[in-house]
Amino acid sequence: MNRLSQLPTLRINPAQKISLNYKRKTYQGIGGDTIATALYANGIRIFSRSLKYHRPRGLYSLDGECSNTRMEINGIPNVCTENTLLKNGMTIKAQNVIGTAENDLMGFMDRLDWAMPAGFYYRTMHKPAPIWPIALKQVRKAAGLGKISPDFQMNGKYEEIYPKADVCVIGGGPAGMSAALTAAKQGLRVILLESRPWLGGFFDYRAAEYSNGIHLFERARELAKTVSETPNIRGFIHTAMVGAYNNNLITAFQVGGESDHFDERYIEIRADSVVVATGCIERPLLFENNERPGVMQISCAHRLARTYGLLPGEKAVFSIGHDLGLEAALDLSNLGLKISYVADIREDGQDPGLVADLAKKKIRFLRGWVAILAHGDKSVKKVTLSTIQGTHHRDVDCDLLVASAGMTPLTGPLTLAQAQLAYDNHTGCFLPKKLPVKMHAAGRLMGLNDPLSIEASGNLAGLMAAADCGATVEADLKQTRERLNDLPGPVRGCKLVQAPVKGRKSFICFDEDTTIKNVEQALEMGFDATELVKRFTAAGTGPGQWGIPGHNLPLFVAQYLEDSTVSARPTTVRSPLVPAFIATYAGRNHDMCKRTPAHDSQKSSGGIMRRSGVWKRARYFSRDSGCREEIENVRNNVGMFDASTLGKFRIWGPDALKALQRVYAGNMSKISDGKVKYAAMCNDDGCIIDDGVVVKRGENDYYFTTSTGRAGNTVEWFRYHTRYDGWDFHMINLTDAFGVINLAGPNARKVLEKVADTDVSNEAFPFIGYREFTINNEIPVRALRLGFVGELSYELHVPSSYMQSLWGLVAEAGKQFDIQNFGLEAQNVLRMEKGHVIIGSESEQRTTLHDVGLRFLWDRNKTQAKTVGAVALKQTEKQEGRLTLAGFKMENPSHTPKDGSIIVDSSIRGYVCIARFSFVLKESIGLALVDSPLAKEGTRLQIYEDECKGQHLYGTVVPTPFYDPEGKRLRM
Amino acid sequence: MALTITCPICDKRNGYEFRYGGVDKGPRPDEEGLTPTSWCDHVHMNKCVAGIQKEWWFHRDGCGAWFTIYRDTTTNLEVDKPEAN
Repeated sequence: MNRLSQLPTLRINPAQKISLNYKRKTYQGIGGDTIATALYANGIRIFSRSLKYHRPRGLYSLDGECSNTRMEINGIPNVCTENTLLKNGMTIKAQNVIGTAENDLMGFMDRLDWAMPAGFYYRTMHKPAPIWPIALKQVRKAAGLGKISPDFQMNGKYEEIYPKADVCVIGGGPAGMSAALTAAKQGLRVILLESRPWLGGFFDYRAAEYSNGIHLFERARELAKTVSETPNIRGFIHTAMVGAYNNNLITAFQVGGESDHFDERYIEIRADSVVVATGCIERPLLFENNERPGVMQISCAHRLARTYGLLPGEKAVFSIGHDLGLEAALDLSNLGLKISYVADIREDGQDPGLVADLAKKKIRFLRGWVAILAHGDKSVKKVTLSTIQGTHHRDVDCDLLVASAGMTPLTGPLTLAQAQLAYDNHTGCFLPKKLPVKMHAAGRLMGLNDPLSIEASGNLAGLMAAADCGATVEADLKQTRERLNDLPGPVRGCKLVQAPVKGRKSFICFDEDTTIKNVEQALEMGFDATELVKRFTAAGTGPGQWGIPGHNLPLFVAQYLEDSTVSARPTTVRSPLVPAFIATYAGRNHDMCKRTPAHDSQKSSGGIMRRSGVWKRARYFSRDSGCREEIENVRNNVGMFDASTLGKFRIWGPDALKALQRVYAGNMSKISDGKVKYAAMCNDDGCIIDDGVVVKRGENDYYFTTSTGRAGNTVEWFRYHTRYDGWDFHMINLTDAFGVINLAGPNARKVLEKVADTDVSNEAFPFIGYREFTINNEIPVRALRLGFVGELSYELHVPSSYMQSLWGLVAEAGKQFDIQNFGLEAQNVLRMEKGHVIIGSESEQRTTLHDVGLRFLWDRNKTQAKTVGAVALKQTEKQEGRLTLAGFKMENPSHTPKDGSIIVDSSIRGYVCIARFSFVLKESIGLALVDSPLAKEGTRLQIYEDECKGQHLYGTVVPTPFYDPEGKRLRM
Repeated sequence: MALTITCPICDKRNGYEFRYGGVDKGPRPDEEGLTPTSWCDHVHMNKCVAGIQKEWWFHRDGCGAWFTIYRDTTTNLEVDKPEAN
């Protein structure tokens, strides 16, 4: 198809050739083409088949208001080809077809419309009941448009930004640009959003005069240039606004251009004030076959020629209700389109100049006439025109029918922001009646039509937004208001909803194949509100939402109910206003994790690093997932473990002890100097949330540890539970500031002796001791003698910056004993053998301190402290029906149940928290939370493991600790 | 998140930065005389006001302060302290 290549309004670059694949053929598009215009240029007229009736569908609007031109692009279904720019090598498929879009084997469905009345899927196929499961499958098979492969992988880069602005302007047309420039002149930071890939709105493609011999498109380019040269306006083009929330939070999706580093970007804007200037879309004309390929809206035909250089047809008929239609007919006729008739729904009120020009061009002009029927199976061949009363008819041959009933404001953003809209009798549109605070509307959205009025209303909105931001603009406001009052106001709009036809194939919603007849059926069944009709007929529930039925449906319902249109309300739209990729919502796949200061050392010693909470930690140091070597080395020799992820805190100040008493279950006033105290925290339900140790480093100065998972919440927890008290204490999270090495095993002391600058003998530094000393006369160490893994062991806490050095020193000192690393899995087995719990492994949300057998950590006598959890601990002390933590031994040691297996008899009685084969005991052992009667020693537990196929496993409750019950090895 | 919250230290910030701490129920009651029901009510039961309520927020991704604001639960907007009746 030849392009008009000399028009100054074009947005294409004919020199740049872009190829695409469609129907196993390669087609050529050019730079600036959308997928839809490239296909159109190659003679493609049928883009898809409709949802229910498989009717052929083609280009109708150019802003993606319906699903007609949604296609599968590179495996992604439902891509809106009208506003997706063509890229080289795209593979395009038509949707909802068996065969091709032109020859769809399901095309016969169009003749079965009698079998599919409104809501047929709610009403039919339920009786007799056995039919439904079969019918359901068939309905599901037929439903939906695009299909996605279950293993489809979304490619591309998706970003997100959260800019802040003084003023956010939605819509980059004349009104939006004027508003942005006016607000920017006040020194405010302005964000301007435009959904098309350029600024200009409905001025951009029009050759009509703006004023003083300047054309509208020139004016648009002039404004756009000024906008781009204004440093405090940040313009986002090809950015569709999708959501508006309170406090002026605006969300949008930006499509990346050639030079952008992203494919799509989610933008969340917080603005002090918002200007909505989204303009109008066209109101579809309702007549028979009103969606036949070859029927299109005014701006679609006009923009195809003016923006993309494509004459939309050869022989055209216009059936319109707005001056823009007359202007487009004249302009397209000048560009070479043959127009036989222009039928205007309006009896009068046209711009006399335009009418005179039509006469000069010898285009036959009919007042009060309208198209009632489009002929032709797959595209328009002929149209029947009629007077709006239906008294006279005339058939006209054509291959293009430009049809539009009028304009309708694009009020979606206002609806989302909960603005009130009302039907306006003068314009026949839904206009904003009450706007939320700090939100303003401008331009065609207010029913304006005159270019100067539109710009003036933009100026006014910009000034009002500036006033919201504190600018002094009273004088300007007054002046602009007066100027706007002197300019032409809203023009009277065409009110016709339906051409004089029965409406069996007059589509009020294209996406859902909803006809006027369907709407009448719903109304006859008693659905007497627009929202109900919408749901029952599905009109407006497709991807276009409001786009096609938004204006006509409420008015049609109001007319049918013989209600005055005053009560007509547009149906609700919801964000995202335009369909958006979930990938864009998801943004970048951030995998943010922390590394301990000993990360590299462990990795170079063969550590297999795995994600564990917010950290990456060494899970194993050997290929053997049972970690036998690591475990036996700790039991018989000495190992080192990176425990840097422990939560570590300092709390100090006059009221520090009070705060500790509040959150710890135990009595924290009884911490001896040079000793660690094991302590637990509960929540107000008495459920255990954390355990750790506390040391007293000085008067009112404490250092304590929490479990890894609680490190992030502990300061918040302390502050929350002391928020009413006004206590004077400071708290600091030292988790990342300190690294921790756990040196464990019978030879641990021999290693420590070699590096420590102090006496670490059993007498000088006994079990449960706390010491501070240096290593190598340099590294300050806080040493805690604990026994989590059940052996002689030292936790060495050092500033993170010293961690690598200390790690190296300990490894070097341990070389003569053949010291080995051990990882998380080995530690897990070692502590289990010792019967030590990990919060979150042997407890869940409902597990109290009593349940896990740690009652001794609770001091019942410190009621004055109002300890968190104490009340519930007292009340649940003797409560029946609770789970209790019990140790068990498997009858058959060769099969260890998986963690999480359930304990059953005739019902579920508990679950396995952890179970492992113990190399030292040569048994399969584990810990389980079971109904308390089952926790008695000697009880036989029946264990149901996943996929055990009825073969239960059996274990017996035994006392814990399994290993070294007297605790001698800790005290060696 | 559409909600913004005014932190007494950091001023008005995006709601993402805060953690909700529940409606303001006053200081912890004395333990004397609490029944399981009254304690459970204190901990878990909320009035679920449709209107303005005083509530606690924690500036998690900020200064780390706990503070109260007034919020209209019907509009999800922070409001000024209502005048005493």
